[in-house]
Amino acid sequence: MENIYLPKIAKIADIRQETPDVKTFVLRFEDEAAGRSFDYKPGQFVEFSVFNEGEAPFCISNSPTRKSGIECTVKNTGKVTRAVHELDIGDAVGIRGPYGNGFPLEELKHKSLLFVAGGIGLAPLRSMINYCLDNRNDFGKITIVNGARTSKDLVYKEEYKIWEKAKDTKLYLTVDCEENNWTCMVGVVPKVLEQLKPTCEGAVAIVCGPPVMIKYTIPVLLKIGFCPEAIITTLEMKMKCGLGKCGRCNIQHLYICKDGPVFTYSQLEGLQYEL
Amino acid sequence: MFKAVGKKAFMKLMDSLSKGYEIAAPRKFSNKGVFYSAITDAGDIYLGAEFTVEPVKKLFLMPSEWLFENRFNDGKISLQGGVPPQEARKRIIIGVRPCEARGLELLDKVFCSDFKDSSYSKNRERSIIVGLACSKPDKTCFCTSLGSSPAETRGMDAIIFAGEESDEMMLEIITDKAREIFAPLEDAACEEHRKKLESEKKKIKDPVRKINIPDALSASFESGYWKEVSSPCVSCGVCTYLCPTCHCFDLVDEERKRLRCYDGCCFKDFTQQASGENPRPTKRERYRQRVFHKFDYFRKNFGEHLCVGCGRCIRHCPMKIDISEIAANAPKNK
Repeated sequence: MENIYLPKIAKIADIRQETPDVKTFVLRFEDEAAGRSFDYKPGQFVEFSVFNEGEAPFCISNSPTRKSGIECTVKNTGKVTRAVHELDIGDAVGIRGPYGNGFPLEELKHKSLLFVAGGIGLAPLRSMINYCLDNRNDFGKITIVNGARTSKDLVYKEEYKIWEKAKDTKLYLTVDCEENNWTCMVGVVPKVLEQLKPTCEGAVAIVCGPPVMIKYTIPVLLKIGFCPEAIITTLEMKMKCGLGKCGRCNIQHLYICKDGPVFTYSQLEGLQYEL
Repeated sequence: MFKAVGKKAFMKLMDSLSKGYEIAAPRKFSNKGVFYSAITDAGDIYLGAEFTVEPVKKLFLMPSEWLFENRFNDGKISLQGGVPPQEARKRIIIGVRPCEARGLELLDKVFCSDFKDSSYSKNRERSIIVGLACSKPDKTCFCTSLGSSPAETRGMDAIIFAGEESDEMMLEIITDKAREIFAPLEDAACEEHRKKLESEKKKIKDPVRKINIPDALSASFESGYWKEVSSPCVSCGVCTYLCPTCHCFDLVDEERKRLRCYDGCCFKDFTQQASGENPRPTKRERYRQRVFHKFDYFRKNFGEHLCVGCGRCIRHCPMKIDISEIAANAPKNK
């Protein structure tokens, strides 16, 4: 019988500094067969072990259509993430997964997609955005609204030009406050969304960011005309096992690790949502 | 199948079985109470009315269990699984109360379903459960409120009826596993023994308390009730550690080992995120989570409440908080 808590060894193939406190790690399984059999959907996550320090869940931030490895984007915030940030290229880590439901790819086919991201919340959406761009004819218009506290906190900057140039794709960037030499939008994500009023016709909104951003973004989307079924969010809570057993990441009877992390707002609105 | 056996003959059989099986049973320690222990001398087995402090859960989910360790050899890291536990001998657990056996069935729903937990499952597979009917339910017991009873045999391979004053006990054998281990005992499925067993069963009294546990609590979620009932809680966690069905755990690295350790929803750290966010910042949310997990969420996911009415959390709570009353009295509307 398989030990479900046992990770597989992966090596860090590359590290990219995204912001002063955010890095993206490219991981490759030591065992090539494990790498080949590792299949995932955008929106799923892995449990990432730094041996002797601990384990934490991170979403997979690259698209399964670009399998050069597993990418995790990590903000240096707590005990495990601090240890992750101290890793170098070539270091061995542990990976288990993928876990969680991921985005409902079949249901999203032929829809226009509005991606709304705040800060590092762009990580799971980047996986989906690149998946859409690699299957461009399967999806309608793509609109990306991406915000961060300051321009320094924007992640995946090198990809913005590619997204802007992609067919039927629009990218709006915003920062919370005015800055010198900043030519894009200014204001928090929900405010910017109110100004932009992206069309809701045949569209689904996919939202990820800090809880406070999600909280104020959903009412704006409802006002614009998105119905609760057409608002998708990916949630985060403290997690340990990732397998629906350790008992902490639930919102009512739903476990974020197993029933989520991707939920429609229609699933959450009746749930006296604790976040 | 029924067998009547003298206590001495039963203990003798246990001694001879201990050559081929691990034996675990309640054992009484003076000034401390009754605890499940590994038995090397059957004379230590305690089959009296007093309940074990800790539930039988700890023989299946250890308070702290190592899952794997990492090793460095020639600059290469490798992982050695800590599962399966030792050489996993077959094991007989004597004296499991009906509520605890039901508790194991509830834990099975979590640990033997999707993503099967190999350590727990192996511990289940290697164990023969010989239950013990409760001759004197405690005043905190409320098993009959949750579909069980002091003589319920669900989840058991056999059950013992042992009056404290009598030297003879009755065995009801339920599964083939139990038939095999008890084969050396004289077969006695005669009418006289059947009558004796019936009379033993009659002596057993249901717990005094019958609580009206609701099917769901959702309506009360936002109620001020939860702040009020959680206010005496000192967040010590004894209720979760001693509960036969509480199974929340933490994964912790201790040097080269990854451990799975008991954890509890009453602790602030349980949901404290590194970012500073905590969806359950006060005792109100944390205690509500405990009661809802037991009497609302688990039923939605698995069809039954996550409580067996053993009364441990009430008996051992330093503040005498009574979860059965709290669940029963939860407001039916907002």
